[in-house]
Amino acid sequence: MRKFDYFKPQSLDEVWSLKQKFPSAKYIAGGTDLMVAIKNRELLPPALISLRSLPELSGIEDQAVIGAGARIGAAVTISEILHHPILNKRFPILRDAAQRMGSVQIRNVATIGGNLCNCSPCADMAVVLLVLEARVRLQSPGSQREIPVHALFSGPGVSCLDSDEVLTDILLDPPLPQTQTAFFKKGRVKMDLAIASVAMLLNLEGNRCRRARLAAGSVAPIPLRLYDLEKLLDGADIQPELILEAQKLAEKSVAPISDIRSTAEYRRHIIGIYVRRGLEQILVERSQT
Amino acid sequence: MKQEISFTLNGSKCTAAVIGHMRLIDLLRGPMHQTGTKEGCGEGECGACTVLVDGQAVNSCLYPALEVEGKQITTIEGLMDSHNTLSIIQQAFVDTGAIQCGFCTPGMILSTKALLDKHPEPSEDEIRSALLGNLCRCTGYVQIIQAVQHAAENLKGKS
Repeated sequence: MRKFDYFKPQSLDEVWSLKQKFPSAKYIAGGTDLMVAIKNRELLPPALISLRSLPELSGIEDQAVIGAGARIGAAVTISEILHHPILNKRFPILRDAAQRMGSVQIRNVATIGGNLCNCSPCADMAVVLLVLEARVRLQSPGSQREIPVHALFSGPGVSCLDSDEVLTDILLDPPLPQTQTAFFKKGRVKMDLAIASVAMLLNLEGNRCRRARLAAGSVAPIPLRLYDLEKLLDGADIQPELILEAQKLAEKSVAPISDIRSTAEYRRHIIGIYVRRGLEQILVERSQT
Repeated sequence: MKQEISFTLNGSKCTAAVIGHMRLIDLLRGPMHQTGTKEGCGEGECGACTVLVDGQAVNSCLYPALEVEGKQITTIEGLMDSHNTLSIIQQAFVDTGAIQCGFCTPGMILSTKALLDKHPEPSEDEIRSALLGNLCRCTGYVQIIQAVQHAAENLKGKS
């Protein structure tokens, strides 16, 4: 392992004073991506500042605590999300994505904030939080800002965070009534990174879609909101012809590349199928409730 | 720059002087002389290095050693009872032929322990999900699944 110093600050103030002292230090949360990058010499930070023991970044608070919606600390692990009964009941799509992320060993350590800040186009949590229209709170010495989660992603592996800024919380609005969600992910094996993924959320009145939100992973430089599809579905009756139209539009709305995991053509194809399948599944679930 | 940390390893309180870039697996196999934990890929894919930290399975190859301060670590060496006999899970792996070369076995067994501690009667699907992060290149997994089922039955009989 390449040499680096490792600091375990106990508060955000301590994080920032360390960052001032070691400006090229990198933040580490779960480290399940970062430690691999260091091992493979893709990153050679002289020091790591651990965000694991910060009280500001921990805990899940649901409506009982904060009145509405939910707050998820950025250092909350994927396992904590998976095993939080209230969060799972109110935002089942979080659980759907969490249980498809990595292995037990990875989920026990990897954090939701880390998944976002890595700005990987395939980040499962990012795709889901896009359709939930989550906001994230970013804090730096003496200031904080709240931005919609999509504004976090500047490019593959590049976030909008300033160098000393820390993503501290993920904030969710309460789910609208009569909302249905679906999440699909294609991986070579179950624990793999996504070849392609789709998250969707539909607010329905009968078969009429009041509001649709869709996002896709691994098909663009960043996790992608599918605004064109949303425009097609908003206010429309979800019926078989529209579902086929949505499938075709989905294939056109993404900009995948070919790489070691898959070809661009296959990714495009899968995205169309997942959009169709999601809409069909939501209609079936709808008719059963 | 070394930092002194304290933790519990297989029930015994320990201290160690740890350097920043040391991973948990380096701490265990080096200064702690616990070589039962194996390093396979070193990238969190194969699970050979799986140990329990506060009862949760983690890849010790991705876990900074300094993060175990104050925590309880269980390795394969901690599973044998005080009479130096194999634990029920270990014996089940032996009995069902779930071990060939043995390199994945410590990790497999610790993932199994983490599962059975929380879900004493897992379904086959739950077993497969729990062991998804542990690769075995010898056995083809059938005997490993049987070993977990066998261990679950025997543990139930004991409690």
